[in-house]
This record gives sequence, C-alpha cells and structure tokens, in this order.
Amino acid sequence: MLQEFGRRIASRLVYPGCTVVLFGLAGCGSDEPATPLPAPELTAPADERKEPLPVTPVEAPEPFDAPPLSELDKEVGWIDRPVRDGLVLLREAQAGEGVLVTVADALALKNDTADTNAKILSALGRLPEEGQADLSARIERHVGGDLGSTNPIMISTAAEFDILGLTGFGLFSFGRDLEPFATSETVVAWQTSTDRMLDKVVLRDDLVWSDGKPITAHDIAFTYQVIMDPRVPVPAVRSGTDQLRWVEAYDDRTVVFFHKEALATNVWNINFPVLPKHIYEQTWEDDPTLKDSPEHVQLEASPVCGGPYEIVERKRGQQIVLKRRASWATVGGKQVREEPYFEEIRFRIIEDPNTTLLALKAGEIDEMILQPEQWTTQTVDEDFYERNTKVTAPEWVSFHFGWNIDTVFFRDRRVRRAMSYAFNHDEMLEKLCYSLYEPCTGIFHPGAWMAAQKKLEPYKQDLDKAEALLDEAGWIDRDNDGVRDKEIDGRSVPFEFSIVVNQQPLRIAICTLLKENLDQIGVRLNVRPVESTVLQDLTIKHNFQAYFGGWGSGTDPDTSENLWKTGAMRNFCNYANPEIDRLYAEGRQEFDRAKRAEKYGRIQEILYDDQPYTWLFWRNSFYGFSKSLRGYVFSPRGPYHYSPGFGSLWKPRQE
Amino acid sequence: MKPHDASSRPPSRGFWAEAWVRYRGRPIGMIALAFVVFLTVVAAFAPAIAGTKPVICRYKGQLYMPCLGYFNRRWEAPVFTKDKFRGTYPQNLKDKDPDSWAIWPLVFQDPYRRVRDNEWPGRPENPSRDEGRPNAINLFGTDQYGVDVFAKMVHGTTIALLVGFVSMGLAGSIGIIVGAIGGYFGGWVDMLTSRLTEVVMCIPTLVLILALVAVVEKPTIWKTMAIIGATGWTGIARLTRAEFLRLKESEFVMAARAAGAGPVRIMLRHILPNALAPVLVPITFGIAAAILIEGSLSFLGFGPPPPTASWGSILNSARSNLQLWWLVIFPGAGIFLTVLAYNLVGEALQEATDPRLREARK
Repeated sequence: MLQEFGRRIASRLVYPGCTVVLFGLAGCGSDEPATPLPAPELTAPADERKEPLPVTPVEAPEPFDAPPLSELDKEVGWIDRPVRDGLVLLREAQAGEGVLVTVADALALKNDTADTNAKILSALGRLPEEGQADLSARIERHVGGDLGSTNPIMISTAAEFDILGLTGFGLFSFGRDLEPFATSETVVAWQTSTDRMLDKVVLRDDLVWSDGKPITAHDIAFTYQVIMDPRVPVPAVRSGTDQLRWVEAYDDRTVVFFHKEALATNVWNINFPVLPKHIYEQTWEDDPTLKDSPEHVQLEASPVCGGPYEIVERKRGQQIVLKRRASWATVGGKQVREEPYFEEIRFRIIEDPNTTLLALKAGEIDEMILQPEQWTTQTVDEDFYERNTKVTAPEWVSFHFGWNIDTVFFRDRRVRRAMSYAFNHDEMLEKLCYSLYEPCTGIFHPGAWMAAQKKLEPYKQDLDKAEALLDEAGWIDRDNDGVRDKEIDGRSVPFEFSIVVNQQPLRIAICTLLKENLDQIGVRLNVRPVESTVLQDLTIKHNFQAYFGGWGSGTDPDTSENLWKTGAMRNFCNYANPEIDRLYAEGRQEFDRAKRAEKYGRIQEILYDDQPYTWLFWRNSFYGFSKSLRGYVFSPRGPYHYSPGFGSLWKPRQE
Repeated sequence: MKPHDASSRPPSRGFWAEAWVRYRGRPIGMIALAFVVFLTVVAAFAPAIAGTKPVICRYKGQLYMPCLGYFNRRWEAPVFTKDKFRGTYPQNLKDKDPDSWAIWPLVFQDPYRRVRDNEWPGRPENPSRDEGRPNAINLFGTDQYGVDVFAKMVHGTTIALLVGFVSMGLAGSIGIIVGAIGGYFGGWVDMLTSRLTEVVMCIPTLVLILALVAVVEKPTIWKTMAIIGATGWTGIARLTRAEFLRLKESEFVMAARAAGAGPVRIMLRHILPNALAPVLVPITFGIAAAILIEGSLSFLGFGPPPPTASWGSILNSARSNLQLWWLVIFPGAGIFLTVLAYNLVGEALQEATDPRLREARK
C-alpha cells in the first residue's frame, strides 16, 4: 500500500484566475497497478485511489474570547508573508529556462531515453503565450475511483483531491518547490505575528460563491467550527486544523488564526477547505453528518462551489463533469481574475489500468498515470504515439518492507539489518522495476532540503553479512531442519513469518523475491496478498509481522512524524525511539531552514541505522498525455498537486 | 460342491468388469482417460521434469533427492542450507565436493524464480519484460518477471489435479455418508439430512473462499480445497440418497437383514457397492468444476499464496499485457483440455454404467 503520510499536506492548486485547495491526504491508499497504495494517494494509479481514511477523534475547541483587532495590532508586530500567483511564478521560472526542441519536433519524439524525456518536457511543458490557448477547450481526465462526497471538508481520497481541488475555495497554496504562500487570487495580504502565534489574512472583496453570495472571512471561521465539531465525521482535514486554538473573523475580509504553539508547521495548519456559511449554518446543527438530511442530500448532488469550477453532472461510477464558473473570473460585470484554461473538465472513472490505457489509445481520455510495465512495453509503438506522448519525472513516493518490532523476530536491529542485506535490491530494480526507479535509503528524497547530509549508501545484497548478523542475533539452525531457530521462553521458535502485501503483481513479485532470498539463508517467508482495505486494517492494528507498503511525501518533513513518533497512529511497526521523538519536536519549533534540515537529516540517519523499514525504491511519476495537451510541469508531488499544477495545463487553439 | 457346466461357460463378468469393457469401447472416453493419466504422471514427477534441484545427487558420500523440496520444503536435505548452497546447485555441487554427481531434471528451469545468468554453466539468464517469447530454452516462454512458463505449467499440474481429487474426495465422502444415512434410515433422519443438504446448497462457494482469504492468517491451497469439498457435496448426497431409497427395498438387502446383518454392514457391504456407479459420475464432473474454480480464483488473485505455480495465476499475469500471448495460450489450453477430459471421462462413465443410456444408444 502506498500511503500519504501528510498530517495534512495542505496544498492548493492555483489556476489561472482560480485557486483550488488541495488538502493533503492523510491516509492510505493502495496504489499502483504498478504502483498505487491505500488511501488517497495523490499519485496513486487507479486502483489505489479509493479508500476513505479513518476519522480522527477530536474534542471541540474551548470557547475563546478573541481580543479585539485593535488590541492585537497594538500588542504584536506583524511580518508580511508572501502572497503569490502560482501561475505567474511558473511563468517567471519558465522565462529563464531554455526550450530544447520545437513543439513539432517534441511531438514526433519517442520517449525512450532521459534525453528525449527532457526534450519533450521542455517543449510541451511550457505555458501558453498570449492568445495561444483555446479557452473553450474540454479535457477528459482519468480518475481511478468515484467521489465519496462532494463536500470539501470530507475530502480524503485522491479522486476527491483531484476534483474538489478544482471546485473548492482556499487561501493558501504552495509552489513546485513546496514553499507555501497565500494565493493572490483570493488574498490581499497575509501577515504572521513576530511571536508566530498569530496569522492574519485579508481577503479580496471580489469573491463570490457559485450561488452569487459573497465569500467572506466569516465562512472561514465558521468552517473551522464545523471541522472541529466532534459530531462531524471529518476524515482527513481535521489533522493539522486541530493544532489551531481558534479562528476569528473580525469583519468580512479580515480573519485571524490563533495557534496553540509557535511551530514551523503552522503555515500548513491554517490551510483547510472552506464551506459556505450561509448554506450550512442552518442545516449543520440538525444533521451533523452533513450527509443524511434532505437538504444535505440535495447539497451533495449540487454543491455550492467557491473554486473556479462547479460540478454540473455526476453519474456514479462513470463520470463527473465540471464546468468553468463565470462568477469566478467575472464579478459585477468586471473581469477580476484570469480564466482557467479549460471550459469543461470531464473526469472519467475507470478502475482497471489496462482499460484505462485502451481508452487513452482510443482518444477517449487525455491523460493517465502509466504503470512501469505499461511504460516499458505497451506504450512504445505507433499504436500509442499516434495520439499520445508520455513523460516521466522524479516523485517523492517511496516503498518499503516494514518490520513489526513487537515480534520476536524483528525486535533485534541486527535481524532487521540482516533482512536488508538478504534482499536482492539489484534484481528488484533491474528486473522487476525495469530500471525505472531509484534506490531508496530513507524517509526523505535525496533531492529534498531535509534529506540527510551524509550520503547514505543503498543496501546491496550480501548474504554472508546477513547470515553473520542472524548468527550473532542467535538465530541458528539448532534442530538441523534447514530453518534457523532460537530459543525464546524455553520454546524453540523457527524463523518463519508472513508478509502482507497488496494484491498487485509487481508488489507480489517483490515479496516473492524476498522469499527466495530468505530461503537461501534458512529463513522461511510466507507471502500473503490481501485486499488493500484488509492491509490497512492489519497495519493500523499492528496485526502483522511484516508488510509491504509505501508513502507519498508531505510538503513538510514534519508530516512524517506520525510514522515514527512513539505510539503514533501510522507507526505501524511500533518503532520507539525517544531521540526521534525529541528531534521531531525540536524540528517543529525551529524556524531556521538550515537548522531544521539538520534535525530531519539526523532523523533519517538514525532510521537508516535502525532499519525499521527496508527501504526499497522511489517511485517516479509516469504519465501518458494526449498530444493535444500542453503545459504539464512536474513537482515532487506529481504534475497536479501543487500550484499551479493542473492549472498550468492547456490545449492550443485549432489553426 | 461343483458348479454345473463350469467348464463349458465362462464365469459371468461382474458389474465393474462389464462397465470397463463398455468404457473401453468408447474411443473418446479412452483418449480422455489417457490424458488424465498423463497429467497424473506429470504431476507426480513434476520436479523431475522441470526444476533446478537435482533429482538424485551424491554429495559428500551421501545420496540425496533435493528435488523433493518442490513438494515440501522440509524434504530438501538441510545439509545444503548448512553448506550455503543458497538454492543454486550446479556450480555449488562441483565446488564443494568435486566427487559429487547428480541427475538433473529434464528441463533446467524453476517455477518459482528467474534462472540467472550462468546458473547452468553456459546458459544465459531468462529474459523478462515482454521479451520472453517461447524458445529452445524456455519452451513456453517466460513471464514478465523472467519465470519460466513451462516449469510453472508442469508444477501447476500438481495443483490442478490435487484440487480436483482432494476436494472431490472430501465432497464424495461427505455426500455419500450423508446421503446413505438419510436414504437408508428415512423418516426424521432423512428429513434432517435433506434439509442440511439444502442449506449447504445455498452457500456460495466463491464468496466463502473470498471471505476465508481475508480472515485466515495463512491461506493455503489446502484450505481452499477443503472449502470447495465442504460445499460441493450436495449433488452427490442427493444421488446417493435416491439410490439408497431404491436399494433398501430390494431382495438382497432383505436377505441380508434376515441373516442378521446390522445397518452399517448392510449400508457398506450390500448397498453402497451397488449405488456407487451413478455417484461416480457427478464426482468426475465435480473434479472438472473444482479445477475451474481454482483457475478462476487464481485468475482473480485469490489463489494459493505466491509463488505457488498454478495455471490460473499464469493467466492472471497475462492480464496486464495481453500481447504476451504465451501467457494466455498455454495455461488456457491446459485448463480447457483438463476440464474437457474430465467431462468426457464422466460422460463415458455414465454411458458405461447406466443400462438405460446403454439401451438408448443401441
């Protein structure tokens, strides 16, 4: 399974003239027909983008008597924070980048080397020049599963992030470098107090909901109350939001976020989706599920949207159609924002990756995530290149074997290291993953600012070392049956265990390779493929000996705390190390980027030494795009889930 | 006492001998039977046909049969693990004991893993991705991960046949016992067993197996077989019951009862042999059905745990890339022919043992 570990990886897509909120998935998804996993995973291919996350329990915030704004202004100093337009940032960045080939040449290329990949990306990933984009264009997007809900605060799966990101309203976003900013589409000014306990945001006055009512600061304060209401089953966005002490709207345009602590992660905590207060105010108390009452059923079918798009049609299990909302760009007869590039976005729901590829080849959809096998063998001929092209880029999604430390086998660090040495990493990378993935040595991508400074060498297979470590740890074949054993509490325990894994061929093949390798050194492994929901359940309850899974990265290294902190919810392996707990706490309170990086680098080194996971590989992004699409630019979170993300895609005007 | 005319008339054949004579007269039935026998031979000798472990070898003065490790991991002598053979025999045998010798399987390929470069001196590694078309080394090609399809097919035969025999053996035993008790005793006993049969009939086998896979800690092919068997006995029970109902009124049973035979003896010695023929037919068809169920389960990914080779799991691996035709044709043909053979055997058996059908043919 691949899970996003973001507590909430709040992000928001900014479209030309639109802001879209994309909250981080917390949750797990099983992904990949070559690569997806449990929970909504942003990059997850089809079958893994479905399951909802468990709801985190919460207590309603104590009532808070917010001091008047004039008093706040008197007491604290304010520091200006960036207010940007993601599209403008990207355009500026691209102005400095050269184009390697012409568009026509790029369209004729076959992407079979890193060189051609760079050429295709440089020519087709450009934003349009003035008048070049067809503003009446329609895009057919692929999505691997249906929406659970159209209510933005119920967001949790990758499909919901994809779609509700376009219809939702938000104040904040982050760019390709994952640096947070307030988006100029909705915000005039953003300031943080010098003690970092307050954030003040001034909204624009030309924002309206799709029903024509203005979007105000009161909507934001109201939404905070709804999200924190323990009766409301909010699956994902509550984590992070619960770090806020209070949200107060002082007038229609000014909202202040009060923090519990001064933390480096506060910039992410203030980013949550927003509900229209005038709609939910009356219905929320009667039906806190936000789902069951007739009014809510009606809203579910035709939600009031604050983003650049609105949902106009929804056929369950088949398709969801979004239309550009005129009242986003034009308010009071004046154009106040740029229009997004597509007039209509049609999300086609197809679960099976092979069917999806057929649809792409037939021109029924314009984009899809490709599985490694599809990339290598099924998208190489004219059949594919007639209508499409493909690109790849690094993405911060990694996979691993997790060892449950509360079992007799993996309590000992030497045994976990022996596992890492026993596994044939080269065979996996070259033969199973077709040399498409990079080896992984730890929780942070080597290209990330928080990665360890010290170069951590990827593990290589060394069976002699593995055997020596197992001997040292006391796992020796005493009864001469070919299997190592150890006497524990007066009982001889053979080294035989199971690994649970999602039912996807590549993942099963990787576990089977581990079985073969362990067999060579007298350890028996049973590979146990299970459904992703079962896998999620087993791992959350720590009811496994070993598992195969993956994580997508959050925007901030702190989002990985819930994987490693003692007793954390997604610390499936029961890893406990007071030093790690301390480093995470310190990292959160440190505001200097370089000093923070040191803390997280240290965490990565400690985990590398302890090997609670055997890290396997970083899974890159592989996308197939129709030749009619332009403007795809990749971030460490894939081509869509940052700002501008999907907002940078466009189709050229027909000549 | 001498029988009259014993020398002039041959002794009349028994029922089964008679049936066999009639069966032999049906060429299609015989071909199908030969195919089933052939499969049984392949299944029994799978490790000697395709494998990477010697059938017999002499190592440090001792004789071993490492190939038995394919049937049960414990039957592969631990000395090879101790001496760090690490699963590859050809080079290690020579290096660690120059006097050793070995008899190798007919085809040096492994059903569970990719054969690496030079593992067999001078042999290149198995191709992976989409390059594994059938060739002289990989007779049926290789799958996307470089595992030989021929070796998988051969070892998969064991699974296919086991599933058929074990599950139908179980189903047959339950069905015959339940049917016999109900049919022979009648009354409320019959009432109970008939209702039980109907209840079990309502259980969907596939759903039960899917539930089992999710719940059980270590799902094995044996548990799958047990479920197929434990739910597939209803038809057999009904047929057995009908036969028992009919036969318990016949003269020879009355005679046995008059001679003082108890119910168990009457059921086993007197009625069962006469009731067996019609029951064998659904068992034969049941074997075919069980093979098909196992194939579908593996195809859906709920089969025996990987890397167990089964025909359905090869088909499953073809799902991701249909251009690899050899992953479809060979296991598909295997399943088709086997199921067909069992059905033909069943049909021929039915015709050979049912006098009415026999008459109708004339």
